[in-house]
Amino acid sequence: MTQTYSRLRAGLGALAHKPYIWGVLGIVALLIVNVTRDPGYLQISVNPANGYLAGNLLDILRESAPIVMISVGMCLVVATSGIDLSVGSVMAVSGAVAMEFLQAASAPQSTMSAAMALLLALTVSSLLGLVNGVLVAYVRLQPFITTLITMLAGRGLAKVITGGQNTSASSDGLAWIANGRVLGFPVVVIIAIALALLIGYLVRRSALGMMIEAIGINETASRMAGIKPHGLLITVYLLSGLLAGVAGVFSTATVMTVDVSNTGYLLELDAILAVVIGGTALSGGKFSLGGAVVGALLITTLDKTVVFLGVPSAATPAFKAVVIIVICLAQSSRVRALFRDRRGPVRMKERVA
Amino acid sequence: MTKRTWLGRAIGIVGMGALALGITACGPGGDGDGSAGGGAGGDDELVTVGFVAVGPEGAWREANEQNIQDTFSEDAGFELKFAPAANLDQASQIQAFSSFIDEGVDVILLSATAGAGWESSLQRAQEAEIPVILIDRGIEPDNTDLYVTRIAPDNLEVSSSVAEWALEEFPDGANYFVLEGPAGVSVVNERNEGWDAVMSEHPEFEKIGAQTANWSREEGRSVFETVLRANNNDIDLLFAQNDEMGLGAAQAVEEAGLVPGEDVKIATIDGTRAALEALADGQLTFVAEYNPMFGETALETVNTVLDGGTVDPYIIVPSETFDSPEAAEEALPDRQF
Repeated sequence: MTQTYSRLRAGLGALAHKPYIWGVLGIVALLIVNVTRDPGYLQISVNPANGYLAGNLLDILRESAPIVMISVGMCLVVATSGIDLSVGSVMAVSGAVAMEFLQAASAPQSTMSAAMALLLALTVSSLLGLVNGVLVAYVRLQPFITTLITMLAGRGLAKVITGGQNTSASSDGLAWIANGRVLGFPVVVIIAIALALLIGYLVRRSALGMMIEAIGINETASRMAGIKPHGLLITVYLLSGLLAGVAGVFSTATVMTVDVSNTGYLLELDAILAVVIGGTALSGGKFSLGGAVVGALLITTLDKTVVFLGVPSAATPAFKAVVIIVICLAQSSRVRALFRDRRGPVRMKERVA
Repeated sequence: MTKRTWLGRAIGIVGMGALALGITACGPGGDGDGSAGGGAGGDDELVTVGFVAVGPEGAWREANEQNIQDTFSEDAGFELKFAPAANLDQASQIQAFSSFIDEGVDVILLSATAGAGWESSLQRAQEAEIPVILIDRGIEPDNTDLYVTRIAPDNLEVSSSVAEWALEEFPDGANYFVLEGPAGVSVVNERNEGWDAVMSEHPEFEKIGAQTANWSREEGRSVFETVLRANNNDIDLLFAQNDEMGLGAAQAVEEAGLVPGEDVKIATIDGTRAALEALADGQLTFVAEYNPMFGETALETVNTVLDGGTVDPYIIVPSETFDSPEAAEEALPDRQF
């Protein structure tokens, strides 16, 4: 008994020292706000109409799946001291490819068509990621500029693919990925968690993560230490493109419509924010995948809270900005030091003396 | 080592080429169409019309611009020069506008991507004595001396027609929610104004709230899902300011285990094909059209103006409303957008 207790305490202690603790606290605070608005907020019930588990928490998890995907990809890219601004546009491209394919397919309801659409969408997204990777690794273009170009070209490409239209299609297979349930639990969430865990496992159980961090700290030094940055850089951008493709399928398949100007619009900023909230420095050299996931969850919780509380549309951006700036301030070691010093002015004097 | 550098360079050049191709591919696809019309000239009787258009934006815009291009045909005695904006960029529109003045076209039709910043261009057209007719989009500040007329459906009228329907549908009042477009857009303000003007006199209608879903189906679903939870499904009526958001909300209603059309009635504006199909299916309950097909009206106006006649500064295009699955089914076969 005492052993479990002490282990729990140790676990909590470790958590408190994680860089994303403030993100976790932010989520908890938002949930508490929601609970005070409606005591039944956290309740999860079985919907009698369709047997699904239903509840606000599940809505948040389901909604966060695409953002989790792009945040994980973004996190690895940022760790190499790069950035990937194209993820939002790649989502639109991926959705456009899937929807156009299904619309043209002879048997859109078949599992085969759904699989083909998925495969095609992911291939195109990975190619876009590959283009980013090659330009950054071999041509040595600035990641910011490279992915900015892909971001603009990507949205244009999506418009070309659908002919400027918002294409709708129907496919039970894809719709199941986005809206389906396994034992009442949303499929998207299961896939997102599985992918995040898989990538986390691959990166942290091998030397891959360390090598990525090494590139972020100093690419030349890492090469001298025997790491081949080119391949790794291409891999992270490709992975980011692939994950953005998954996210694009997730978010277009929920309504089976790709909206070329809105799908994934500005989500690259959400992903960057999620990564930063998760304690990954934009200067690269260290990363936390768990943190990125926490950041993504925080952003979705915030979005959902705004709607749940009925914050007027015009005030929404301001409300979100305030919450995020508070979390970033809480994270900043300088601000925390300031508060520590305020609390103990005596120590300060001692130090001066 | 040298080999490597060459390889890097080669990849770079290929990559840049691919990107450049990608970017040009996204440029205005209509450029060719615009100049193609010029070659057909030579017949002096044709009236040349320059159309400064918005270009690819969505189904509504496409229907609108296609309709105008079809109406101003050579058979009708017109030569239409079509100039869509590059990526909704106002600068490219101003450029096209000036070149139409320099060419000396007979009439210019203008759908401005942005309202402000047209004064000097319009003044130049006035000096060149070329009449300008605004199609759908207005300009800001709305100085009616600078153009002949504006032809557009009226947002106020359309949204108040939705409100009027709601009064009939719910004689005892209802709890309603509004899904808006992005905050600050003029269409959103006008659609709110028309709705509120009617609703403010009917206290039996209680406004539960309003949220933006950015015209998007995905967001419409996500927002309305949470709105239903926050209000324990106690919403009788949803006013969605465009079809897409309404269609997303209908999905949220179904997922919450409710029946759209019975538990929650959804009214939308635009009247796209997808919305009418949903209305025929019973997913939506009311669709008010925001009519894009006003090529004919534009043609008559152009003729009147060229014959020296006078027209009103604002010509409102009549829009229909669809309030039953039957009405939707009837309209579906010749729905063009």
